Amino acid sequence: MDAKVIVFGETAIDRLLQWLRSTGQPQDITDLVRQYLEILSKAVREENE
Amino acid sequence: MTAAHTLPADQQRLAEDIYRLMVAQGAMFAVDTPIRQTLASLATFLARREGRDRAELEAAIDMALSADSRFTREVVDGEVRFVTTRQGAYVPREGADTHSFKQRLHEPENPLPIDDISVVVSTSRPAITTVEPVYISDYWQVQLAAPSVEGETEAVAAPEAPAPVAEAIVEEAPAAPEEAPITVEEEVSEPAPAVLEMPAPAPVEEAAPEPAPAVLEMPAPAPVEEAAPEPAPAVLEMPAPAPVVEEPVPVVAPAPRPVQPPRSTVFTLDDATAIDLRRPVDEIMAEHGDLLAQVLAERLEHDPLQRIVSFGRKYYPEANLASFGKNDLRKIRDYILERNEPLLDTEIIADLYYHNPRQADYEGFRFSLNYRLHREKDFEFVGVEGAYLWATRGLTITSGKRLKAAEMGQITSYLVEGYDDSPELQSIEAVRQSGSVTRLLTFFEWEYGVLPLDAGLAALLPPPLLPEQRSAVLRFESPQHFTTYLVEVRFPAGNRGGWLQGLEEFFHEHMVPGALITITRTGEPNVFHVVYEEGSEQTERLLTFDEKKNRLAFANVSFFCVVDEDQLPTQSRYGRLNRLKAFPMGERRKAELMLEHVSETIGDQVGTPAEPRYAVTLDDLYVAFNVLRPGSRAYLKALLERSEDFTADESTPGLYYYIPAPRTSAEEVEEEEDESLEERPPLRQRYGRYDEDE
Repeated sequence: MDAKVIVFGETAIDRLLQWLRSTGQPQDITDLVRQYLEILSKAVREENE
Repeated sequence: MTAAHTLPADQQRLAEDIYRLMVAQGAMFAVDTPIRQTLASLATFLARREGRDRAELEAAIDMALSADSRFTREVVDGEVRFVTTRQGAYVPREGADTHSFKQRLHEPENPLPIDDISVVVSTSRPAITTVEPVYISDYWQVQLAAPSVEGETEAVAAPEAPAPVAEAIVEEAPAAPEEAPITVEEEVSEPAPAVLEMPAPAPVEEAAPEPAPAVLEMPAPAPVEEAAPEPAPAVLEMPAPAPVVEEPVPVVAPAPRPVQPPRSTVFTLDDATAIDLRRPVDEIMAEHGDLLAQVLAERLEHDPLQRIVSFGRKYYPEANLASFGKNDLRKIRDYILERNEPLLDTEIIADLYYHNPRQADYEGFRFSLNYRLHREKDFEFVGVEGAYLWATRGLTITSGKRLKAAEMGQITSYLVEGYDDSPELQSIEAVRQSGSVTRLLTFFEWEYGVLPLDAGLAALLPPPLLPEQRSAVLRFESPQHFTTYLVEVRFPAGNRGGWLQGLEEFFHEHMVPGALITITRTGEPNVFHVVYEEGSEQTERLLTFDEKKNRLAFANVSFFCVVDEDQLPTQSRYGRLNRLKAFPMGERRKAELMLEHVSETIGDQVGTPAEPRYAVTLDDLYVAFNVLRPGSRAYLKALLERSEDFTADESTPGLYYYIPAPRTSAEEVEEEEDESLEERPPLRQRYGRYDEDE
């Protein structure tokens, strides 16, 4: 994924939702942001590799 | 993500936004089903949502979507429409629907009987042992066979010329080496390496065993492939393709894969903050964590599908929420009313639902409860971070009936107007570090059991958890008397100040105005300790408020706390305070009016009866002003400087003179009337309030 097309809070939000479901518990906003950054970083890295 | 990258970023984003909207609209559609929207509808919706000009937005949408490959522009009856699908660009389906169920059932019209039991298909488990076969016509066998035949013939559907060649080769060389099939497979699966291995055009004899170039060139590769392992003599006998083989085709190396420029790893936020995703997440969080949390929270809140919902700082999938019906809500409400105080969410869950915190779904259930109650009008969140308290309609939290919230909000508005001088007495940093606030009680605070929520207290107490939260209920414990009080914190809102209420009983029982109190944090986020310094018994004639008679008066009071003598409203020092009028709260909001009244009442008359002039010190004004309403010294100074009737004595700091403005004739007449009535029980006095004797 080209990071230029990332809209923070919209892009790959499905994956964030998937992670949130998998945890089974409410998560703090800080943890949510951290995980979301991980998802975006991974998506960008995969594309570049 | 196939937006036209040649467009400006805002148009790309607009196209992306609309694509998401339309995909959300057609979430239940098949992936290739067209999703249509008119340009007018899109422009109207987005103009309303973003508050932009509709015509301008319509043009922008038209340009953005027309340039985006995911959208197809249509004009129907003069109306512009855009079509897209969940899988991207809309591709109309082909006319021939080979998968029509109807067609499968009814073609041919009269299915022929079958001969082979292998084509018998039963679609359901029979209730009886007799099997009623469903006869499938030969038509389907043909249809089924057709694709495979086609698939087989695709390779040999070449010109007829090579066919005999292949046959001839096969016939002439029946005893081909066993490696031949393997060679064929390899060549078929990996034709390119075979080509690349050829170093140079080979002579005819050599070309025969390595016919890879011919495979590439020949329109019908299959037969030639079969010819590949054949020995050269066989190839030489080939009548037609021989010339082709003889002319070695120049080796064509596969086109190198285009080298794509490295993709960007930097994304930008709306405020142009650029974030490089190659950096470690911890580093990004440390630098932009708060901003990213804010942006993410806003985006999730405005997500049209509301897939992730929040309560406070917690987020949870909407689909995982536990459901609470009307009966649940009624049960919870009744329980809160029965307990007659706000209840923690954990208490509600434990007492009404018997959920154990050790259960795996406990936190999810707890979140669901809070989320649901927050959306109900009958419930009000009065908790803080770490202690989610719920009140309900009809529950009286504190006995603050003497004060109306609207009036107190206006009375304490000086705190949000910049006249809060509490940090001068105790810095915010000191409050945060020590976890306690020390302050002197004024008469108003003591009488009504309230404390203005100044900066010092705000630094000590927890902030509101929810953006629109009006109040929070805290528990103040007195370790000296082992008593507990529910204190309601009213948070500032707009131009209204905040305050604490609910300490009336504690103040009246153990303290007097001028006492020094200390409020301290505890381990619980909603529990605080309130203490005062105990002293030997003193009896003073102090100012009190007789609510029945609605008048201020002095009375003998015994107390056991240490007080600031300057703030203690004794008769010996502030003997005129009982002349203050107990204005209704609505009047006390008018700070200028109160200041004039206080100055006139407690000031020393240094003028003449015809031209009165009152001298009053700031300290006295502070004590007297805080009898009627709260106000800081900074606020009093601002009022004094702002009023034309007050002048500061330049020789004596803190001394002010008040010269009442000359009254108009109408006021004089009214005043005379009032004076004439004073001999009788007075009915009405200045400022339009009834006298205390009424």
